[in-house]
Amino acid sequence: MKKSHPIRRVLLASAATVSGIVLLLSLKPATDSTSASAQGAAAQGAAAAQESPQGGAAAAGTSTVTGAVAQTQYGVVQVRLTVANGKITKAEAIQAPKGGTSDQKTALSVPKLNQEVVATQSADITSVTGATYTSGGYKQSLQSAIDKMKAAGANTASPSQSSAAGSGQAAQAKTVTGDVVTTEYGPVQVRITVAGGKITKADAVQAPSGGTSDQKTALSIPKLNQEAVAAGNANIDSVSGASYTSGGYKKSLQSALDKAGG
Amino acid sequence: MTTTLAGGRAARRQTMRRIRPRRSPATLLLLAVWAGAVGVLWMWWHNTPSIADQNGKILNAGRITGLLAGYLMALVVLQMARVPALERRVGSDRVARWHAMSGRYTLCLVFAHVFLIMWGYALQAGKTLSDIVQQTIDSVNQLPDMGKAAIGTGLFLLIGLSSIGAVRRRLPYDLWYHVHLLTYAAVFFTFWHQITTGNDFALTPIAKTVWYGLYGSVTALVVWYRILTPIRLNMRHRMRVEAVIEETPGIVSVLIGGRKLHRMGAEAGQFFRWRFLAPGMRFSSHPYSLSAAPRPNMLRITVKAIGDHSARLRELRPGTKVWAEGPYGALTSQRRTRGKVLLVAGGVGITPMRALFETLPGAAGDITLLYRANTTQDLALWDELAKIADERGARLMYAVNSPDGERPDISAESLRRKMPDIDNHDVFMCGPPGFAQSVYEALRGAGVPARRIHHESFEM
Ligand SMILES: Cc1cc2nc3c(=O)[nH]c(=O)nc-3n(C[C@H](O)[C@H](O)[C@H](O)COP(=O)(O)OP(=O)(O)OC[C@H]3O[C@@H](n4cnc5c(N)ncnc54)[C@H](O)[C@@H]3O)c2cc1C
Repeated sequence: MKKSHPIRRVLLASAATVSGIVLLLSLKPATDSTSASAQGAAAQGAAAAQESPQGGAAAAGTSTVTGAVAQTQYGVVQVRLTVANGKITKAEAIQAPKGGTSDQKTALSVPKLNQEVVATQSADITSVTGATYTSGGYKQSLQSAIDKMKAAGANTASPSQSSAAGSGQAAQAKTVTGDVVTTEYGPVQVRITVAGGKITKADAVQAPSGGTSDQKTALSIPKLNQEAVAAGNANIDSVSGASYTSGGYKKSLQSALDKAGG
Repeated sequence: MTTTLAGGRAARRQTMRRIRPRRSPATLLLLAVWAGAVGVLWMWWHNTPSIADQNGKILNAGRITGLLAGYLMALVVLQMARVPALERRVGSDRVARWHAMSGRYTLCLVFAHVFLIMWGYALQAGKTLSDIVQQTIDSVNQLPDMGKAAIGTGLFLLIGLSSIGAVRRRLPYDLWYHVHLLTYAAVFFTFWHQITTGNDFALTPIAKTVWYGLYGSVTALVVWYRILTPIRLNMRHRMRVEAVIEETPGIVSVLIGGRKLHRMGAEAGQFFRWRFLAPGMRFSSHPYSLSAAPRPNMLRITVKAIGDHSARLRELRPGTKVWAEGPYGALTSQRRTRGKVLLVAGGVGITPMRALFETLPGAAGDITLLYRANTTQDLALWDELAKIADERGARLMYAVNSPDGERPDISAESLRRKMPDIDNHDVFMCGPPGFAQSVYEALRGAGVPARRIHHESFEM
């Protein structure tokens, strides 16, 4: 029965809502400080744990930098760069829109964008026509990756960081990405880091996602990665319950080894 | 019904033993609602590692408003599910006010969400704010479930417009009500795009489960309490009109018979929504309070003719089938915390007060009824009130306009003069908003704490 003040209530509610949202937005950093691939989608379980330390990117050898997740209306885009001696040697989208017509658009645009990045060495790339949203998101994520890469480059003075990148053997380390192998549940693509003729790291940049695939991927990929490093070749055991994913993984791994000249 | 208790300490103790105030769960519910909102914001926070630029800020503001709107939407529907805890413990009128308030707020969030998201996408595609309409059309055409979402948003717009005060007052109640029922369709249509295009639901499978759980349980509650419960009630009790009695000019009582009516669990002070299955009346149901304590084979309502439906009740024939939903309302003896009670009735607000006057336990002198009407002729049910007062040793007072039309003086001073111990009373009050407001202020002035003034409004 207290007196109601409708106008005051409306003003109060709007002011509280707007300032709450503005506050939340401003508390978020502009670039991603944590490993962004902890975000749900495809290759996450596989890649997240093995992200190379971003610190000494340009210090010695090869390292990877992952950009922020960019939201587009068709889904998220996230770019990862492989950097060797301060140059972008490879760009890839570890997350890109999927489903419906998005698959086509992604297939059409992402490879082109990847090439452009390596060619221009900057975020100043042209959008792929017919895929403006994906291109826009790609550029956003790319920009943040490049920012990080530069920040890391400026940091090379710090010895602890460069050793974190494993400078000792990193001089000869290189990253090779295998072919995309399509399985019944989705594409699998393996990337290995080879140093001194040995696989020092393996991860899946693409793996099946959606439905029960998420579980299977989370279950099998870490095991396969470990096995690949342990065995040093593509002769690894399939994970039971995830035989399609394992099969695809092995094929992609083999192709990566072939490329690495191992 | 009325066990007249002699005055004295023993009688008072006996009264107090029967007073078991139950706290309204309102505070707890509000806390739960806030906790849920925090959970929703946390999900956004968790799924958003960084926001790169201005465009990202706009899109994320759109996501936050969308998530909150999706969350609140379920609760806005829940408030109208006629859940007994809400209707009987918080009170139907209060829940209806919550519903109106949170409904307006939620619709504002929905429209803000649409605007922000479309603006953000337009910028992302290299266009500007002025292309927002084209962007919206594109998105509706290209994204999954966005066609449905567009239909739902259109319905929300219609519902929102029809509920703006000035518009609503001009619309017939039934038209407004049926437009309002479209909310269910609107919620259904807008639900799916949340799941299929919502970033947070794609990224967090648990969130998807929680969302299905939230909307699923609200749907279940609506089906259970708005459809199945009334069907069961009416199958069991089979109510019919027994008689229609004119009380004063313009006020009639309707006696309703049925089977085992005491098993409905209705209490004095509560109301039902009544639908009389007579030609021209079967499509609308109206809330009327019980104007006497329920008896095993008889219920009574007393209605003042103020419009279409209420005026036609006098034409009801005995034997007409009645479909009732209820009991609802929290203005019952459970609110009581004190031995002494003052009942205040304004006009036809006498109905629940009449039932409470008869049944509230109390010794002689514990219960007082103050009845306000325009003239003594308008004091409906006066004779029976006088009889109850006599039998129980309760006090009965009335206040009417003076012959030259002047309003009676109901102020803090006059109340204290009549009842020196007024600040030691629980007050139950029912009457038109202006009257209730002025009495409320007078009571507060006379020293009655707000938590002991229990009020119900006939406006919903
Ligand atoms: C909890 C509660 C208990 C009530 N108890 C009584 C009572 O005991 N005796 C009595 O005479 N009146 C009571 N009323 C008021 C009564 O419901 C309205 O006067 C009646 O519904 C008016 O309908 P109408 O078609 O005659 O008038 P209209 O001219 O159609 O409506 C007049 C106003 O009544 C309200 N109203 C109309 N239809 C409904 C409806 N279906 N549901 C809710 N509100 C409606 C609207 O605010 C409307 O503006 C109660 C109302 C509520 C909310």
